[in-house]
Amino acid sequence: MTPAETSAFEAKIRAYVGREMGPPKRGNDDVNLAMIRHWAEVTGDENPLYTDAEFAAASSRKGIIAPPTMLGIWAMEGYPMAQGHTGKVDVQRELHNIFEAHGFTGVLGTNTITEFHRELRPGDQVISHTVIDNISAPKKTARGHGYFIETVTRFTDQHGQDVGRQVFRTLRFMPSAESVAANQAQSGGDAKLKAPTRIQSPRGHDNAWWWEAIDQGKLLIQRCKRCGTLRHPPRPMCGECQSLEWDSIESSLEGEVYSYTEVSYPKFPGYPDPLLCGLIQLKEGTRLVANIVGCVPEAVHVGMKVRGKVERVDDATVLPNFYPA
Amino acid sequence: MNRTTRTFGSVTLGEKLPPLKIDVTAGLIVGGALASRDFTPVHHDKAAAQATGLPDIFMNILTSNGLMGRYVTDWTGPEAALKSIEVKLGAPNVPGMVMTITGEVTAKDDAAGTVIVSVSGDNNVWGTHMAGKVCVALPKES
Amino acid sequence: MAATISDKAAIVGIGSTEFSKDSGRSELALAAEAVKKALDDAGLKPSDVDGLVTFTIDQNEEVDVARAVGCGNISLYARVPYGGGAATGTLLQAAMAVASGVAEVVVCYRALNGRSGQRYSAGVSGTLITGSAIHYGYYMPFGLLTPASWVAMFTRRYMHLTGCTQDALFEIAQATRDYAVRNPAAFFYQRPMTRADYDAGKKICNPLTLYDCCQESDGGCAIVVTTPERARHLKQPGVSIRGVAQCIAKDQEEMTSFYRPDIARIPEMDVAADEAYAQCGLSAKDIDAAVIYDAFTPIVLWQLESWGFCKYGEAADFVQAGNLRPNGRLPSNTHGGQLSEAYIHGVNGIVEAVRLVRGTSVNQPKKAVHHALVTSGVGVPTGGAILGRMT
Repeated sequence: MTPAETSAFEAKIRAYVGREMGPPKRGNDDVNLAMIRHWAEVTGDENPLYTDAEFAAASSRKGIIAPPTMLGIWAMEGYPMAQGHTGKVDVQRELHNIFEAHGFTGVLGTNTITEFHRELRPGDQVISHTVIDNISAPKKTARGHGYFIETVTRFTDQHGQDVGRQVFRTLRFMPSAESVAANQAQSGGDAKLKAPTRIQSPRGHDNAWWWEAIDQGKLLIQRCKRCGTLRHPPRPMCGECQSLEWDSIESSLEGEVYSYTEVSYPKFPGYPDPLLCGLIQLKEGTRLVANIVGCVPEAVHVGMKVRGKVERVDDATVLPNFYPA
Repeated sequence: MNRTTRTFGSVTLGEKLPPLKIDVTAGLIVGGALASRDFTPVHHDKAAAQATGLPDIFMNILTSNGLMGRYVTDWTGPEAALKSIEVKLGAPNVPGMVMTITGEVTAKDDAAGTVIVSVSGDNNVWGTHMAGKVCVALPKES
Repeated sequence: MAATISDKAAIVGIGSTEFSKDSGRSELALAAEAVKKALDDAGLKPSDVDGLVTFTIDQNEEVDVARAVGCGNISLYARVPYGGGAATGTLLQAAMAVASGVAEVVVCYRALNGRSGQRYSAGVSGTLITGSAIHYGYYMPFGLLTPASWVAMFTRRYMHLTGCTQDALFEIAQATRDYAVRNPAAFFYQRPMTRADYDAGKKICNPLTLYDCCQESDGGCAIVVTTPERARHLKQPGVSIRGVAQCIAKDQEEMTSFYRPDIARIPEMDVAADEAYAQCGLSAKDIDAAVIYDAFTPIVLWQLESWGFCKYGEAADFVQAGNLRPNGRLPSNTHGGQLSEAYIHGVNGIVEAVRLVRGTSVNQPKKAVHHALVTSGVGVPTGGAILGRMT
């Protein structure tokens, strides 16, 4: 869109901010056991208050309640509206149609904040009062560029009493052309998503031999052939005597924790959780970074004695891991 | 789930909930969308999902919200009462992934008898799918 | 023997763009604006510029900046490597150029969309930003992927050796926040932080939590450097570069110097500090205020020790005694630092150090500031500069 088109578009969508979705609307179905059971089945929720009448009757609730997380579900419009099979178009649909007409075809629920003021029981009516509360400035997101639409819904019951409130944020975005092309290209096959592995070290002249030994289950330490100085990480020349000649020794894998950290954020796919990284002082005198495993994070401390084991950690990776000795 | 309920006094700040692994299947995604009456095509139609740049159909936020609520009440037991849930979605859950849900008690309100559990659901391919806070009231005594 | 760079060059102009989380503009637009503002501040024209210095990681080519701003012939163009470690290194290049006559008006610039574009917090988890993948290969498979994770390793060791606690880290975070609260250019303007807020910060890499980590920001800054002679005839009082030094110390790695006899200190900053002091014959007692690179809270502690404001292991006590505060021994990061103003790779820190010497900081200390220290990013090769009033 040109800047002029963008501002015309923004004027159109902003006119919806503050508007009510329509008159208060009673859900298509009142709270009922069938929908409760369908929801509990699919979410794997075995809470007996939702499905076990006998248990529920004997509990403090004195009867079945609906899972609170269903609050917004009672108000969902259902199939005809989502498919555009109905003549009627509510204010929210109207707004979404404007986004779609301007190329913002992607839609994604991104946030909800739900407050439960009273538990619902079979037979209760749920009446929703929804306002389009906010439309964000244009945002660049991982999915593409777009706008966040925030609605606020107040829910009441057949007595006009308040039962809860939900803020619902939806991203309307223009799918990025590259990701669409990439995914459509592979759509022929249904290849299973591969579980990610650790990020690998590239291997070059100075380090491939060290990683190859790891693959074989050995932790090696580079040694200067002339002066015997040990060095890690490997490098081509001895910093002490400048010799280019070197060999290696195999580590005993005995050592202690010289320093450590627990990496909490961000989390990276393919790495364990919790993720403990130690700087390990080996008995031979060199240090290396490796994971500490086999204990809870709180147990790790500077000076902790550890013993290493070179082992496979995923389909692509063998690494030294250090366990409490 | 455990049918006995934790009491407010028995819960400690910083306490970690046992992790829960969820296999993200097409069945769960479509089943969750239908049970939440969400017929948006991206949650049941692979071609529609791909047109928005994702490899496959993906879980709707109401299902994520439901799983988060279930995760916490599985741990508290049935006599607890959910007071609020805040969910923020990150990377989508698509079929073939495994989501691990973890949680930690991050606040306790003595006056209200409520605790806040901070919950994270991380899938094994793209990382954090959902993060949020669940506020739940616990009985004073069992 | 001390080099003779002292007082051979002066800063005569500073310029910054707005700092934000999403500039909505190209990095080149930010660079051009910052350079133009710095020239305006100095009362110089683009055609006066004959030198450009920036970071190796800056994405704005010298030719593009020169053309965008309308510079004439450029005779000196140089770049300094190692991320934020380059900050005061740009001043060293500029000072050497004007002292030797290679150039007369040198602009140092740095502009980035550090939040809306490439984020440094991603570390080496995605595309490698700098340095060699072979080097980071010894850390990546283990999940030590981000700047916070590398710094955490030094921090834990330092706490173990010195007894420093989270209280010291909090004081550094809160001191910068309190300055930012009064700085309209800062991200945290009018948003104070309590200990409870700090403690509630997300865990990053222990012992570091969210508020121990700097901002990620969009923005640009520029500094104009010229000869002392020309400086006397310009709009602003010149700020002399009294000393400026950088260093790669023995057995240093890029961010992961885990193999030296002692890892809980910054040997390269010790060397740079000695060199910068020697150049101008000053010592810690002569420094009235400072801008200490604060990508993470603990790195401030080690730099205070390097520059001799306290002895090794005593920095926690030094900061907890309130010495970084407005009436303390060393008011520091008075703009809010990179923790609380913006992360422009330390160049916003140089801008603030110039303001401190001019007497124009929004948080100008009551005492006279004759000399201000400003430092570069650490973990990488680093350095610092001592700025003073021109005599």
